[in-house]
Amino acid sequence: MSDLIIKTNKLTKKFGSKRVVNHVDLQVKRGEIYGFLGPNGAGKTTTIRMLLGLARPTKGSIQIFGEDIKKDKISILKKVGSLVEYPSYYGHLTAYENLEAVRILLDAPKSRIDEVLSIVRLTKDAKRPVKGFSLGMKQRLGIATALLGNPELLILDEPTNGLDPSGIIEIRELIKSMPKEHGITIVVSSHLLSEIDQMATQVGIISKVIFQDSISKLRERASSKIKITVNEGESAWKMLLSHGITSDLAQQSIYLENGSDEKVAKVVKSLVDNEYSIYRVEEEKKSLEEIFLELTGKEGGL
Amino acid sequence: MWKYLRSEFLKLRKSTIWLLVFVSPLLSMLIGFGEANFTSDIKEYQWVSTLGVMTIGHSILFLPLLTGVFSSFICRYEHSSGGWKQLLSLPVSRRNVYIGKFLMVSLLIALTQILFVAGLLFIGWMKGFSTGIPWEVILPSVIGGWLACLPLIALQLFASVSWSSFAAPLAINVIFTIPNILIVNSERFGPYYPWAQPFLMMMPDSTDSFGALHVSFETLFIVVLGSLLLFFCSGFMYFMRKEI
Ligand SMILES: Nc1ncnc2c1ncn2[C@@H]1O[C@H](COP(=O)(O)OP(=O)(O)O)[C@@H](O)[C@H]1O
Ligand SMILES: [Mg+2]
Repeated sequence: MSDLIIKTNKLTKKFGSKRVVNHVDLQVKRGEIYGFLGPNGAGKTTTIRMLLGLARPTKGSIQIFGEDIKKDKISILKKVGSLVEYPSYYGHLTAYENLEAVRILLDAPKSRIDEVLSIVRLTKDAKRPVKGFSLGMKQRLGIATALLGNPELLILDEPTNGLDPSGIIEIRELIKSMPKEHGITIVVSSHLLSEIDQMATQVGIISKVIFQDSISKLRERASSKIKITVNEGESAWKMLLSHGITSDLAQQSIYLENGSDEKVAKVVKSLVDNEYSIYRVEEEKKSLEEIFLELTGKEGGL
Repeated sequence: MWKYLRSEFLKLRKSTIWLLVFVSPLLSMLIGFGEANFTSDIKEYQWVSTLGVMTIGHSILFLPLLTGVFSSFICRYEHSSGGWKQLLSLPVSRRNVYIGKFLMVSLLIALTQILFVAGLLFIGWMKGFSTGIPWEVILPSVIGGWLACLPLIALQLFASVSWSSFAAPLAINVIFTIPNILIVNSERFGPYYPWAQPFLMMMPDSTDSFGALHVSFETLFIVVLGSLLLFFCSGFMYFMRKEI
């Protein structure tokens, strides 16, 4: 089997005349934590609903495990666990009964309930009605439900939304441990870049365009500049130019694009030789946030 | 199919709504106790007249209302906290989910009917009715009443699946149930009014005081089956295509 777990082709969804998802080509590889990133309203949930067969694409196709969701929905869903938007639960049932109601449908062994309860650390609260649970506990129960069928692919839509910081950390650690300990591929969506940055190995940014690559490639796009602050910026800049070194001048500081170590050393040496006082040599990175904003456009609604 | 029913049963059992199956049989039994005082002189009709009296409130009011309450409720826990979303992203067939819910409500109504008969038998035993139990009257009555509830269940399930509100389908059901008392008297409309059918099917033949009772059993049966098919298929097709 190919190593692409999810592959969509020009996936498009319209509500009325409004294009909510437009020509999205997702490619998720086995064993990755794929961060599905986009501002609110970008169409993440809609895309995920289509992946799960809850909504039909207006155009385009979806292949999961190499099978078409239109034709082999049930056989695909057997290997998928999911949590869409806010957590789903039956409030009048206990956590255990919630899992049991799903387990019966999955034909999973009863022992699996205790296993997933312990993975999300809800064993102690298993006998309590879920309506009394905190949001974080409901979210964890949702993940437990998603894990019941021993899925190969886990799709989690904004799993940390609305949680307090400790809840966020807990869910994040849980997600990060999953591929290592259970060999699961994970798609996790979020509107927060920092979230994705901390969990994902691959990233897909959905908005007008789609950027899709490994997180480290995204970081590389955060190209660095060397900023040198000296006593007389403008004259130093001219001196460097006369020595054949191009640089930028802004607010009396000198900026070097893509400064290699040798280049920086050379610049510093000529500045010292010409008796300028060097106050600071700093590396300035464009933040991931800035790149995210650049990719998603200003109207991103952040 | 069995696992769908088991899962549904688990969700239903822990709610208290199923206790409603006891209400109508109990009330009907109380009414039945009161009635028999007046007709005890005609011994052959003790059973049938008690059944007739018990049937009125049960089938004109309670059965139609119960179909609505159970149908709404069996969808309510799916609507209220994202249940549909979770349920339908499992490897389940939507067809079986829908049929499972329909069967579950049908079973609850069947249970109500069984308790209703138990109530009748209890009255007969307490009062020492002298003749044997006329099963040839009782069985067609309760089974017919149950059959006549199926189109109503199908219709209510359609409404409950479509609307995420719990109250709206219930309110509409009440609005359509109230004119029942008039419509069962109408020979023209009675047989075609789904909410009147449980009564028309349940009422034992000997009591001729309601206009629509003159309609033949065959007509009723065809109308019930036809509307069941129509309502069930509409709701089913809607559910199969519904985006969650
Ligand atoms: N059923 C629907 N009908 C009409 N518009 C919808 C529907 N579902 C979502 N939308 C719209 O689609 C857009 C994308 O929504 P969504 O997929 O929830 O985005 P995200 O999950 O990225 O925040 C939003 O503008 C939303 O209003
Ligand atoms: Mg969303």
